[in-house]
Amino acid sequence: MARTELLKGTLDLLILRTLELEPRHGLGVAERLEQITRGTFSVKAGSLFPALHRLEADGLIAGDWTTNEEGRRIKSYALTAAGRRRLAAEKKQWARIALAVAQVLGEA
Amino acid sequence: MRLRARLVALWRTLVRPSALDRDLDDELRAYVELVAEKKIAAGMNSDAARADARRDAGSLIRVKEEVRGVRAGHTIEAAAAEVRWAIRGLRRAPGFTAAAVATLALGIGANTAIFSVVRAMLLAPLPYRDSSRLVFVWSDMTAIGYPRAPLSAPELKDLRDRTSRFDGFGSIWSTSAALTGDGDPEQLRVGLVSTNFFALLGADAAVGRTFAADDESTDAPRAIVLSHALWQRRYGADPSLVGRAIRINGQTTTVVGVMPAEFRLLMPPDAAVPDDLQAFVLLNPQALTNGPRGQQFLRVVGRMKRGVTLDEARRDVDAVAAQISREFTSYGANGRRFTIVGLQEDDVREIRPVLLALFGGVGILLLLACVNVAGLLVARTAARTRETALRLSLGASRSRLLRQCLGEGLALASLGAAAGLATGWAGLRLLLALRPAPLHLLDAASIDGAVLAFTMATSVAWGVLFSLAPLVELLRADPMAALQRDGRRAAGSVHYRLRSALVIVQIALGVVLLVGAALMLRSFFAVQRVDPGFRADGITTFRIALPAQRYRTADAFNAFSRELQAALAALPGVTAVGALSHVPYDNVPNWGGPYLSQPGQPESTAVMADNRAVTPGLFETIGVHLVDGRFFTEDDDARRESVVIVDDQLARRSWPGQSAIGQRVASDPFSTGHPVVWSTVVGVVRHLRHRSALEDLGDQIYFSERQVQRNPMAYFVRGGDPAALPAAIRRTVASLDGELPIAEVRAFDEYVGAARASQRFASVLALTFAGVALTLAAVGVYGLVAYATARRRYEFGVRLALGAQPTHVRSAILREGAALATAGAAAGLVASTFAARVLASQLYGVTAGDVASYAAATLAMVAATLAASWLPARRATAISPIEALRAE
Repeated sequence: MARTELLKGTLDLLILRTLELEPRHGLGVAERLEQITRGTFSVKAGSLFPALHRLEADGLIAGDWTTNEEGRRIKSYALTAAGRRRLAAEKKQWARIALAVAQVLGEA
Repeated sequence: MRLRARLVALWRTLVRPSALDRDLDDELRAYVELVAEKKIAAGMNSDAARADARRDAGSLIRVKEEVRGVRAGHTIEAAAAEVRWAIRGLRRAPGFTAAAVATLALGIGANTAIFSVVRAMLLAPLPYRDSSRLVFVWSDMTAIGYPRAPLSAPELKDLRDRTSRFDGFGSIWSTSAALTGDGDPEQLRVGLVSTNFFALLGADAAVGRTFAADDESTDAPRAIVLSHALWQRRYGADPSLVGRAIRINGQTTTVVGVMPAEFRLLMPPDAAVPDDLQAFVLLNPQALTNGPRGQQFLRVVGRMKRGVTLDEARRDVDAVAAQISREFTSYGANGRRFTIVGLQEDDVREIRPVLLALFGGVGILLLLACVNVAGLLVARTAARTRETALRLSLGASRSRLLRQCLGEGLALASLGAAAGLATGWAGLRLLLALRPAPLHLLDAASIDGAVLAFTMATSVAWGVLFSLAPLVELLRADPMAALQRDGRRAAGSVHYRLRSALVIVQIALGVVLLVGAALMLRSFFAVQRVDPGFRADGITTFRIALPAQRYRTADAFNAFSRELQAALAALPGVTAVGALSHVPYDNVPNWGGPYLSQPGQPESTAVMADNRAVTPGLFETIGVHLVDGRFFTEDDDARRESVVIVDDQLARRSWPGQSAIGQRVASDPFSTGHPVVWSTVVGVVRHLRHRSALEDLGDQIYFSERQVQRNPMAYFVRGGDPAALPAAIRRTVASLDGELPIAEVRAFDEYVGAARASQRFASVLALTFAGVALTLAAVGVYGLVAYATARRRYEFGVRLALGAQPTHVRSAILREGAALATAGAAAGLVASTFAARVLASQLYGVTAGDVASYAAATLAMVAATLAASWLPARRATAISPIEALRAE
């Protein structure tokens, strides 16, 4: 299956979406992303981590350090209240855009 | 909420950047390992899985860079990191840093010092209310050699009555007065001012008040306003002094006010109004308005009405001059002309071009300094080409390199600014210590906020500019070529040519400044050797004023003077004593008036002469050259008809080809403005340069003090122990009259030194400039030759390995320096012949084309250049060829 370039700004929305149900670490976010888009989107470390840190700096997600069974420090991210509000707003917005795009393409 | 999160993030970024970086490392390492574990779980062997995972993650350096890029407060953090990085780099290269910072300290320091002077003297307004509306009024008597003469009292009244564009005119004249009672008698420098003088300037008293109209009335008590310094020194700043009476010239006078400590009397330097007057009393020109129109002694300041331009005011005053020229025949055919000049402009009339030239000069110095620093940075960057290429290929972005250049430039500029401020402060102290007396505005110069802002702005601007210089080198850096070890040789020739041109310009400018300094120095020595017509060494002077109440008659005056001269002459070691109505180069207003030298000569053709009164013995005491006739004796007193001694300049002008002895001159001993007293010439002396050390000014007429009494008189005592003499003089005077104040007991040499202070000032400045320029040019040559030598180390290594003599290699390098020196010196000599013409008006006893100065300047510069190339030459041959070859 051909992989699609992520639209700019879409990555943030998708990351928030992957964290909607439970906190995940960086690789977990990447895997979940690939899973929910059924392999359409795959995200490399070079885009993933800057995005995570930007969202964290904006207060939309919060990082938390835990230690796993092997004693390795793992940083996982969870949605904050602000992040949830943003996700809801973005979802609505996205639905409108998707609808508009679909209409334009359908009529053509 | 969001704001708090951002602030917390910002706090972490700025305060704990290393903890954040550690976290990021952990996070990324965990990511890579988790990916690898998945791959192992999927059946890969562990090494391949790890390599695969790392490849998938891409360049971790770049990922980290990008993550840092999105952090809150990233820009600040990045800038701080660049500066930290830059400072680390600078600490690792102390030689480079010291050279760059010292260079900048010189350039920025010179700019700071001169800018603070320019600001104080040219930019800052005078400390008076609305000072831009103040003008100084001169009487233009160019036709008889006095382009800037004072005004007479009737003329002040004319200006007040007949102009329409002015709020008012005030006047001041300075003299001295005796202050007695409450301690030792003391002679004060007193300003005689019109009632409105302080109101006109907009200066208020600190305690009490300035003069008011009531003080003018004849039954009002005499009023005096004291300077802050006198009030503090003599009265311990006692506020209750205001309203009390003190004795001035033996008369009861009420202190009505004290001026503020910061009040300065800033009149044009040639107005002969000292800036440190100790007290002010009223001299109401109204009382003198019927006096002679030729009795010009008032220094007049006018205040233009709001919105009136200088041109309008000038037309207003011109019209008055034209009117009175028509109305009063005493002005003769030439009539009267007034010139008005903005007070501030007139204060800095002489110094302004010098200051602007200086400011331009320090600008050039700073430019030279920055060229040097840019050169040093380029050389440093070139030496690090491989390091740079390595970092580029490992994923460092070019914008990161740009930031690092800026960081290094700004770190250097900040260090340079700090060192420059210290240098500038020291430089300013030096300037103030050397300031010639007339430049009183200079005292206000200080390194204040505006000067600091100026220094910071220049430093940052230059820091940015010269940090961009190495970018040319960086941006062309092709990582592949550079890593293949020969890359850095390809880019060199363009820089070398450009930098050579810059260094040649530096040498040329250095030669120009050196030639200027040599000319100024030769002028200074010529001035030192000038014979002013008298000898000042070994003479102690002091001034004494006899109160008119107790010394009412000429006989009383003369008796005291004779007794004092005799008593002083009897002091141990004293060989000669005399008295003169002025000390040469003092700041007492000049006395002079018109004279006639032919019977029946019309007064309108009268020439002006300086008038002085001298006692017998004075000319002998100060070593005046007698050209013809005789000096005064005790017989030249009231019993005989009036006699004068004139200078050879007057004798030549009046009676060319004849002996002056026995000729008759009509002159003006009492400054009435008219030649009223006919006298016989009994002697001719060589012209005394008593007002300017460098120029023969007006003709001179010397009256016998025994016939024409002047008060105060300055006494000149030759010989004696200079340390013990002041006390002996005080004792002697007190034994004759315990109430007499003595003023200004000091060496005659001090006056002469002060008169030469301008030349000394200019010489010191010129020498400092030349020294700095010489240093900068030498550093520039050193930087360039060292750079070129470093690039050719491999080549030199090969040559030495193949058996070349170290001396050959050294002379090859020295030849490069010599080529630079030759080109620079040649260009500099040509430029100097033009530049020296600008200087011509400042020169004395030496022409602008003085060969010795040019030769000395060239020699100094060539020597400095060769010395600067010798160091890298020695270093190039000092290391072993094997080392040089291996280093590549």
